[in-house]
Formats: sequence, C-alpha cells, structure tokens
Amino acid sequence: MSEVTLEIDGKEVKAEEGTTVLEAAKGAGIDIPTLCYHPALSPFGSCRLCMVEITSKGRKRLVTSCNYPVEEGLVVATKSPDVIEVRKGIIELLLARCPNVELIQNLAKEYGVEEPPYKPGDEDEKCILCGLCARMCEERMGASVINFVDRGVDRRVETPFQGTGDKDLDVCRACGACAFVCPTGAITLEDITGKTPEPILSEFDEGLATRAPVYVPFAQAVPNVPVIDKEQCVHFTTGKCKTCEEFCAPRAIDFEQEDEVIEVEVGNIIVATGFDLFDPSVIQQYGYGRLDNVLTSLEFERMVNSAGPTEGHIVLKDGSEPGSIGLIHCVGSRDEQYHEYCSRVCCMYSMKFAHLIKEHTSADVYEFYIDIRSFGKGYEEFYNRMLEEGTVFIRGKPAEVTNIAETPEEEGKLIVQFEDTLVGRQRRLPVDMVVLSCGLEPSRDVEEVARLFNISRSADGFFLEKHPKLDPVATMTDGIFIAGCCQGPKDIPDTVAQASAAAAEALSMISRGTVEIEAATAVIDESLCTGCQLCKILCPYSAISFDEEKRVCRVNEALCKGCGVCVGGCPSDAINLSHYTNEQILAQMEGALS
Amino acid sequence: MARVNSPKELEGLRQQILSERDPNKPCIAICAGIGCLACGAAKVVTVFKQEVEKQGLKLDVDIKETGCPGFCERGPIVVIYPEEICYLQVQPEDVPEIISQTIKEKKVIDRLLYIDPTTGEKSTYESEIPFYKNQHRLLIGQNIKIDPRSIDDYIALGGYKALAKALCAMTPEQVMEEVDKANLRGRGGGGFPAGAKWKTTRDAPGEPKYVIVNADEGDPGAFMDRSLLEGNPHSVIEGLVIGAYAIGSHEGFVYVRQEYPLAVENINIAIKQAGEYGLLGKNILGSGFDFVIDVHRGAGAFVSGESSALMTAIEGRVGEPRPKYIRTAVSGVWDKPSNLNNVETWANVPLIIDRGADWFRSIGTEGSKGTKIFSLVGKVNNTGLVEVPMGVTLRSIIYDIGGGIPGGKKFKAVQTGGPSGGMIPEQYLDASVDFDELTKLDSMMGSGGMIVMDEDTCVVDVARYFIDFLCDESCGKCVPCREGLKHMREILNDIVGGRGKQGDIELLEGLSRVMKKASLCALGQTAPNPVLTTINYFRDEYEAHIEEKRCPALVCKELISYHIDPDKCKACMICGRECPVSAISGGKGLIHIIDQEKCTRCGTCFDVCPTRFRAVKKISGEPVPAPVPEAERVLVRGNK
Repeated sequence: MSEVTLEIDGKEVKAEEGTTVLEAAKGAGIDIPTLCYHPALSPFGSCRLCMVEITSKGRKRLVTSCNYPVEEGLVVATKSPDVIEVRKGIIELLLARCPNVELIQNLAKEYGVEEPPYKPGDEDEKCILCGLCARMCEERMGASVINFVDRGVDRRVETPFQGTGDKDLDVCRACGACAFVCPTGAITLEDITGKTPEPILSEFDEGLATRAPVYVPFAQAVPNVPVIDKEQCVHFTTGKCKTCEEFCAPRAIDFEQEDEVIEVEVGNIIVATGFDLFDPSVIQQYGYGRLDNVLTSLEFERMVNSAGPTEGHIVLKDGSEPGSIGLIHCVGSRDEQYHEYCSRVCCMYSMKFAHLIKEHTSADVYEFYIDIRSFGKGYEEFYNRMLEEGTVFIRGKPAEVTNIAETPEEEGKLIVQFEDTLVGRQRRLPVDMVVLSCGLEPSRDVEEVARLFNISRSADGFFLEKHPKLDPVATMTDGIFIAGCCQGPKDIPDTVAQASAAAAEALSMISRGTVEIEAATAVIDESLCTGCQLCKILCPYSAISFDEEKRVCRVNEALCKGCGVCVGGCPSDAINLSHYTNEQILAQMEGALS
Repeated sequence: MARVNSPKELEGLRQQILSERDPNKPCIAICAGIGCLACGAAKVVTVFKQEVEKQGLKLDVDIKETGCPGFCERGPIVVIYPEEICYLQVQPEDVPEIISQTIKEKKVIDRLLYIDPTTGEKSTYESEIPFYKNQHRLLIGQNIKIDPRSIDDYIALGGYKALAKALCAMTPEQVMEEVDKANLRGRGGGGFPAGAKWKTTRDAPGEPKYVIVNADEGDPGAFMDRSLLEGNPHSVIEGLVIGAYAIGSHEGFVYVRQEYPLAVENINIAIKQAGEYGLLGKNILGSGFDFVIDVHRGAGAFVSGESSALMTAIEGRVGEPRPKYIRTAVSGVWDKPSNLNNVETWANVPLIIDRGADWFRSIGTEGSKGTKIFSLVGKVNNTGLVEVPMGVTLRSIIYDIGGGIPGGKKFKAVQTGGPSGGMIPEQYLDASVDFDELTKLDSMMGSGGMIVMDEDTCVVDVARYFIDFLCDESCGKCVPCREGLKHMREILNDIVGGRGKQGDIELLEGLSRVMKKASLCALGQTAPNPVLTTINYFRDEYEAHIEEKRCPALVCKELISYHIDPDKCKACMICGRECPVSAISGGKGLIHIIDQEKCTRCGTCFDVCPTRFRAVKKISGEPVPAPVPEAERVLVRGNK
C-alpha cells in the first residue's frame, strides 16, 4: 500500500492509502468526535458527528471522516465554522432525543449546547440508534440477532418477532457483545434473550474470577503473552469476530497459529510433574460445591493474594467480610477412605492462612486438626506464634459442615459439627467461612507419565524413587530423575532440595559424557524363542521388543539391566544372561561343590 | 417465435408484421393505463369485445389495450384507427354507439370529443386537443399505438432498430460518444450526465458490471415512469441493452416497485418476448453481445429510489443508503461497478441512437436537452402526463397544456420535484423548466412531479404534509434526517395548530441548514426544500399563522371557524341536517347558528350551503361574530 500525504487542521499527515480521514486524524493525534464509529466495525456514517470540511479538487464540502478515504493533497478542517455548526446541530437533536444520556450530555457541554431548542423526548430514552450493537452482532458475532426495525422516525433496535414474547432465539448465544459495545447502556442482555450468559471462569483464579476468551493465563506467565481459548473464541467457533485483531496495534494476533510439538534430544530427564489438589466435593458432608463460602485451600490462596480476584480481600460470596473462619485439616489425607498418607504441607499452610486472616481481618479463626505436624525448621515456632495470635486449635476432625441452623445464632451461618477429642464432647460451631485444607494427590495424568518414562509408582500412586534413602531422586531407568511432589507430598524447601539433587545427578552424568551400560545383559536364542512374548511383559525396563517379521523377541542391550527376570520366566529356556549362561552357572556350581 | 439473428432479419420481421396488418382495418385502441383503468377502462374493453362479437365484426375490427397517452383527466380514452378519432371519457354505454356509428358508419360522435371549455371548439383528433397540441411527445406519444404486451407492435413502429444499429454498426465507444454528445441528463432528478456516468462504470475496475433501471418511483402524485414501464416497456429494455453494450455489462436489473403490479407484469412479459426473439440473452442479433435482465421488485420504500439504497435492496438487504464517496458507478451492487439510470433516461437512449445526438440536441435548452415527462396534478384542469421539451415555461405547462386552474381560482404555487423539491410561486411562472433553472429557484426538476396549488391551499400545511410523508419514508439511518424531520414536523404541526411561537421560522431555517449539510443521502439533504421554499416565498403566511393565529388560505382547521351570516341564511336546514356533530341549531324559519364549542371545523356546512345563499362563512384570525339574539332569529320571509 502506498502512502498519501494530506493536511489536517494545517498539519501535514501521512496515511496509508485506503484508510479513512478519521483514522489519519487519530494517527496524528487530532480528535474528531464519533458515536457510531468503532474500529472493529465497518463505518456506518449515521451519527454524522465526525463530519469534517474537506477541500478536494478546489471544492469545499462536508463529509463524514469515518468513511471518507484519504486522498493525496486533501485538505481537511475538523473545526471549521461549518463543521461546528453541524456538530452542534446534531448534538442538539441527540440531546432532544436522549436528554438523560451522559455521553450526549458531555458532548453538549463540550460544544456549549445547553438546552436543545426542540421539545425533549422520552426522558428514559437511551438509544441513539448508532447501530453499533446490530453491526457487532452481524459483522463480528455472525448472529444477526438484533437489527433496526421500522424506518424513519419509528426506527428502533429489536430482535426478530419482538413483541411475540419469544426471546429464546437459538441464534443468540447471549455473548453480550451488543451490550458491551453500546455506548449509552441502552441495551441489556435481558432485552434480547431469555438466556443467561455463561461467563468463562478463570482457571488460574480457581473459578473465583472470569476471563475473556483471549487472555494472559496468569501474571508473569512464561511466555508472558495472551492466548486464545479456541473452545470459547467466537472466531474459532463461528468463523467470525476477529475483533481483537483490530485492537492489536502491532498486528500480533495470528489465528493460524497451531500447537507445536518440539522434539529435543537429551541424555537426562528430570520429571517434576507435581501434584493435584484433592477434590473435596467427593466428601459430601463438607458441602464443597453445594454450600456457599466453603472454599478449597487453593481457592482461598487466590483470594488472599493481592493480585487475585478480590485483590487480597477476604470476602464472603455476598462481598462482606467474614466474622469467623473455620479451617479443616486433613481433607482427603490421613483418611482411609481417600488417602492414607499425610500430605505434609496442610498443617503449615493452614497456619499460614490463620496468620493471614488475622492480618487482613478481625475474624476468629478455628483450626480443626487431627495432629499438628510442624516438622520443619522453624515450624514449631510458627505454631506457637499462632497460638499466641489467638487462633483456636480444636483437636477433632469435623463430621459435617451444614447450613441447617438449630439455634438463632446459627442462622445464616455454616455450622461445623465435630467432636472435640480433648474434652470428649460433640459440638457445633457456627462460622461464616470454611476453608478445606485439601491434601495433595498424584496428578491426573500420573499413569500416563509413568508409562511414558517407564517409572514405577508406589502404593500411594506417586512416582517411585530408586531407593528411598540411598538414591531418592533416581528412578529404575538411567537418566530419568524425579523431583518435587510427583515423588510424594512435600513442602517447598524439600522440593527445592530434591530438585537440586536431581540436577546434580543429571550434571554428573553429563560431565562424564558417557554412560556405562550393564555388561551382563539378556540374550535370546532366536532358534529356541517361540514368540510367546512373556519376557516382554515381565521386563521391568521395557528392554524387550517383539520382531513381528521373525516372530521372536529381541533385547535392547542399552536398556537391559541384566536383572534376569526374563531368563527365569522364559518357558522355552531361550534366554540366557551373557556371562551367566545356564551352562556357566552350572559349571560354576559344579566347581564350587566339587 | 423465431429468433432474430441479424439486423436484416429484424427488418424482415418488421416488414412481415406490417404486411400482415391492413392499415385500413378499423382498430379500437383503448388506454389500459392505470389512470384509465381507474376510470373503468377494463369494463369498456370488455363491452367493446362483446359488442364487436355481437355485431359480427370480430374479424373486421381489432381491439387493442394500449399504454397511457397521458390525458388521465379525461379517461377512459379511446382512439379509433385509421381515422385516429379520439374519444374521451368513454363509458360502457357509449360502446354500442361507437361501433354502430363510428366503426360502421364512419360518423364521429360529437359528444365524446374534446370540447374546449372556453371556446367551445371540438377536437376530433388527438393532435388538435390543446393538451396534446402543446406537447412534444417523443417518449409517451406512441403509447396509444402500442399494446405493451405485444413486442410486434413495438417492432412494427421501428422498435429495436436502434439496438440493431448500436450492436451491429457501432462500437461501444461510438455509442457512448453519441450519448455523451447528446448530453442526456439523468431524468431521475439529479440531472447527472448519463454519458459521463456510463463512462465511469465502463472504466471502473471490476467485473461483472451491472446496469440498473430505477423504477422505484415514489414521489406523491408522480407516475411518469409507471406509464412508460406499463405502456411501452420495450423502449426501456432497448435503451438498457444499448447502454449495457456501451458500458460492457452483461447483466441488468429492473428495480420496480411492488405497488406497480401492472408495470411488473408488463416488464416481465416484455423481457420474455424480447428473449424469445433473441433481443435479450446470448448473442443478441448475431452481434456476439450477451445480456440478461432480472426484475427486482421493491418492497415499498421511498428511500429505495436513492441509488445506493436501491443497490443495497438488490443485494437483498434493507434499502438504506450508504455514503457515495466512492460512486456507485465504481462500487455499487455487491461492490461492482453499477450504472443506474431512471426509466425515462433509458427510454431516451434508443431515440438518441436512432436519430442521432444532433437531432436530440436540437430539442431543449443549452444545458438540458430533449424532452421531459411531468405528471401534472393538483388544482389544474387537465391532469395527466405531459411531455414537453426542456425549457418551456411553467406557465405554458400549467395554462396551455394544463388548461389553467379550475373553478376560476387563482394560481398560488407549483411544487416540482416531489417532496425533495420546492414550491414555486406565481412570480416565477415564466421560468423555463430545465435542470438548472429550477435549482436556481431552490426547487428541483426531480423525476417530474408537478403539483399545482390554487389560492385555497395553505403552503404551511402543504410543507407539513411533505415533511410528514418524509418522516415515514426516511430510512432513519442518519441523525439529521431522522431527528431533524421529527422536530420539523413537530414545529410545523404547532404552527398549523395555532401553537406556533416567535422564533419558529428561524428555528426551521437553522434546522434545515443542518439537515442539508449533514444528511447522509439526497433524501435528507433535500427534505427541508418544501419548508425552505415556502418560508422564502410565503414568509407572510408563516407569520400570519404564528403571530395572528390566522391561516390566510383558510385551511388549517385549528385556526379557522365557521359561522352563519344571519343576513344570508335562509334557514333551509340543509347544513343542520348534514352537520355530523349536530353543532348547528335552528329550524324552519329560524336563522341557523353554529355552536362553536361543538363545531369540529369539518367544513360540511360550508360545502352544503346552497351557492345561491353562501351563508356559511369561513374565517380565520378574527373573532366569530356574536350569534343573533334569539329575538331576531325568526326569519321573516320576503313577500310570499
């Protein structure tokens, strides 16, 4: 595209051919008022507010800058007496139409229009008939749910067959784009559809906040760029929209971009796939997902975060500050029905919550625990400090959280029913909020990852290390290490320590430059192998593969650890361990016995 | 029908049609145009057919339903060929007499002839009637000779000769040059030179190119295009094909209002017939040029007559105008170059090609060439369609052709150009009618509507009428037009309703300025014209309404009162009986009195009071005289 030079208000302005005078003026920082213009929509030219005076080919005339294409040598005046007269005239007409719309009132103030000389219209009228909503719906959303009906002075925005009371049109997705783009708040979604919009919940904020279909996953995400949610994006679901493209000045939005699979050849892999939080909704008696103000620990963590959905304010669903909060320990942990193991971090993070609650609010805090396990450095001291801060520690695992009040004091509260084991009494405690200190469990895809990396898992489902004491970061497969919660629940210091160890192990391999493989590996005598593949199933290192052509099994010597499981398992005695053949062993035995 | 494959074959066809027709065979041509149909022409045709059969003349007499010759005031019109005797206002009862007297006996029936109301002179032939005598009917003159549903009728009169000439003897450039040289200006109202527009479309990048007939005639009281499309559709088709050839278009649209059912029907028949002769479709007349026409029916929106709105409507969207900073000739229907011209413009094209640009230039004024059809309506004796050379005076049209104002009333103004035009007062009656002169008078030629108003017309009320019309017909897209018209109507309603305030005139003028400058399309830009011209020429009437609460023309209901002159009332009780709200008291021998409280100012009493008494008075701006005291109400009849 070539560039043209024009003059706007005496200023030389360069603009790309095919753009409009309005765009050129905006680019040059010259303000022209608009009402029906929107950068993402086709110019409509209906409000006439953006009129400017142009001199083209020696002729002066008024044109709408929103759709007048730039020309070489065009002279534009955005504030000539004619322009101002027309603009004022239009503002007078609009003010008479919508006397109580702030946007118009502000324009009137700016242009010195006090009282329109005409009879004022309906004082509740908000619609200025700019058509942004209709164009947004048609051009970008591809739905065409609303448009102008009737003509002349009776023109208005309507849904089809409005008045028949049928608002349940399938075409409307209740996306809200019309209301979003309306400059005067004349449109509400209820006017258009019977459907309720379904906001997209932010994954990072644990569903406590909503997000747009194009979003930065979380602050300081790496890379720190927005992503498009293909499932929700109107463009990817209907082929329309692309509004974001119009707003991105560097034109960085690329709808063609696809997920990439990058293959990297490495000698070592450290698996640090982490954990998942236990889902407390399965413990129905705690009411999570059913009762308001019952939160998981991670949800509370987001809430109390100053960059979180409530900017760090601890609030109830109705927005008010809680007067009392109960923290229930061991949710999903140390529980035969869910996980027998202790998740190790819950006691301490619960106490951190107690501290933060005290810091942020004046609420009473109750910690319901089985045992306090403050095992780390400085942890016990922190526990003592909590006791001093006035956190109430109650020994007893609650049986139920309910909203059914039995006394007037319990009305409108969450009641924690528990046995105080220190006094040996059943009690009910009304609180405003309950935080469930959920345990840690192996991540959802743990099985898949285990298979992929050939890592064994312990009874609790976490990855199994080679040796709990002597080789805690290695796995049975050389070059594959584990670190962090994928190996088992642990807190941050432990995770960092383990990760450092894993990195050191990997580095030692790298610095050696070579890998020593086992000398004594299994060897299959193909003439004896029947192709039953029993050995393949038995091999703990996935070192045996099946040759479909010859219908015999093969051993990958690099993977084989020479454990001998296959040798013992082979029904046709086709497998021998090199250096340890049956004959050799028998000979050794004979030698030893003789 | 056999395909016509060359100009020679077309001429052959014409000769064959002519040879099959006996020029001396009596032919009864009955106008089947919409005006005459409204006066009962359909019945007249049926009776003619029955009568001819009854009298055993079926094979000896032809009956033809033709297009509109224009003299709608005197319909149904019947012309008897070969003598060309012109009968007006023919009723079914007249039919037997016409058959027996005129057809059989060759006698002229005097009472059906045109009789000049002033001289009493009778006119036997169309050409002698003053209404026609002063016209120059190039376009509508043949209507009465043609059955619009018969292509043979059109070909017999030399139809499609111009097409043959253009396609086979001229290059597209030559055609374009000829039209350009003729300085044919758009008849739709704008007066833009057709040649220049064609050239823009031809030179614009993009294929296909479209040509469009704008037959969305919507001005109140205008029916020029309707009569052409209904009465001589082939002339429009021929012009369109020639234009398409010059422009390089192979697809055309006829955008015609759904409210013109006969026009829709006739143009469709004409397209079908032309297609059968190979005058449309592939390889027209063996020239290698292809062209098809699609008829698009308008859904009844005045604004769709605006070119960009019309094109939006063709695309299947709501007919709303869009800015024309890039002309529709460059980016029109589906953003393709699209050349739109009015029905009448297209109908002029065959004439120019056939007779040459020089001949065409010999008609009209310096800047406006050729003829223009006007629909002359309102307070004028001879209403109907009038085709005159550009440059004749308004006076000539209204008085020489229109026969002046009926009832001896005084001429007040003429509205030209429909709702977008303006009202021209008496002092400019000698202005010549062409594109430029009317614009100088703040009015416009428009598509040719001409509404004559007499002294009984209130100009403020008429301006209000047009603004009211436009309030409904504006598309409502842009603020100045939609909101401006609304307030303009409100102010005018206040003025005619006696609620006008000081400053209203200035407010109207200011609002008009904004609307003229800021509106998106020509509808809004010209909408204030009726108001502005009336303020300009009849400011005193506005002032009378506002300041004295007086309607000088005694029209505006809220400003007038009726009362009965006790000196003239003969107590006949007619008005009392007719009054719909029983506002008149009185009885036999008792002078009637109108109860001003009850009176709705419907004017019935005024209309029914016998002219020999004229006792009911209409007044405005003055108090109603006090009713006669009861004691004096008894009417003492003269010596009886």
